[in-house]
Amino acid sequence: MSSFSRSAQQWATFARSWFVIDARMQPPGKIASMCSIRLQGKHKPIYHAISDCGDHVVVINTKEIAFSGNKWEQKVYSSHTGYPGGFKQVTAAQLHHKDPKAIMKLAVYGMLPKNLQRRTMMQRLHIFADDELPEDIQANLTEELPQPRKIPRKLSEYTQEEIDAFPRLWTPPQDYKMK
Amino acid sequence: MTSRGTPSRFLRSVLQNGVGRYVCQLKRISIIFSKKAQSSLGIRDFIEEGVVDYAKKNPGTVVYVSPQSCRIPKIVAEYLNGNVREELVTNKTAPQISELLTKLTDQSGLDIIRIRKPFHTDNPSIQGQWHPFTNRPPTIGPIRPQKQDAP
Repeated sequence: MSSFSRSAQQWATFARSWFVIDARMQPPGKIASMCSIRLQGKHKPIYHAISDCGDHVVVINTKEIAFSGNKWEQKVYSSHTGYPGGFKQVTAAQLHHKDPKAIMKLAVYGMLPKNLQRRTMMQRLHIFADDELPEDIQANLTEELPQPRKIPRKLSEYTQEEIDAFPRLWTPPQDYKMK
Repeated sequence: MTSRGTPSRFLRSVLQNGVGRYVCQLKRISIIFSKKAQSSLGIRDFIEEGVVDYAKKNPGTVVYVSPQSCRIPKIVAEYLNGNVREELVTNKTAPQISELLTKLTDQSGLDIIRIRKPFHTDNPSIQGQWHPFTNRPPTIGPIRPQKQDAP
């Protein structure tokens, strides 16, 4: 963009971008790794570990994230309240039901480097359970990140022509009894 | 602070929260001089010749000209981030003062300390240095999240 003047361009180098990513039907880990890179500023050529050059990331639709396999039942989030017998364990499904932002937040928090900048970077992560964004955040957005996973279509989203045109291995005979 | 004992910082800009456009960071400049002292001769020349032009050229900066009975004339520059710089202009000529004012205007007001990673090139690229919009396809209008398709 050559519309920048020389000094404005130098300022633009250090400007913070605001990325938005739609977590609808996406694996939380993949979204978190994309977020973690951008929160640290590792996608920039001016990156340095202590220069605090991370960007803002807005994650929307975290209500509709999609774990693969049986992680909803088997993945366990543990915490300890500090009191005797205060060890709590909840499955991903229970945690998601309690707070739809929590899984995304914990995934990103775990992927950030364990140093003093971690809390600062987390403050630049904005998580929303649905796709309603406040005006001030909406105004700052500069780029939408592509989703890492292609969303598969449900059978209900196919039209009748597409279902009819789908190739079949075997055509049942007229007198075949469906179970 | 590092083990060298000298304060240091990274190269950065004074953007609010990292977003914004270029704004002249010098908000106020006071020229303090004496009406009769010999050491203020150059600055009196500058006030006659150049100070009105300077004020017209920089509408974002307030310029105060205050004659006081002082032996050492000085220029006090206040920046948007609250930093104040005092420059003594004893026995300086008018062109020297004009040069100094230009320098103060162009500065960001950040402390002038050792810069970490002071990368430098004698051959700056024609494309310009990297910024967040380099190699990014242009888009029209505000970016908004993709609307979900009706099932």
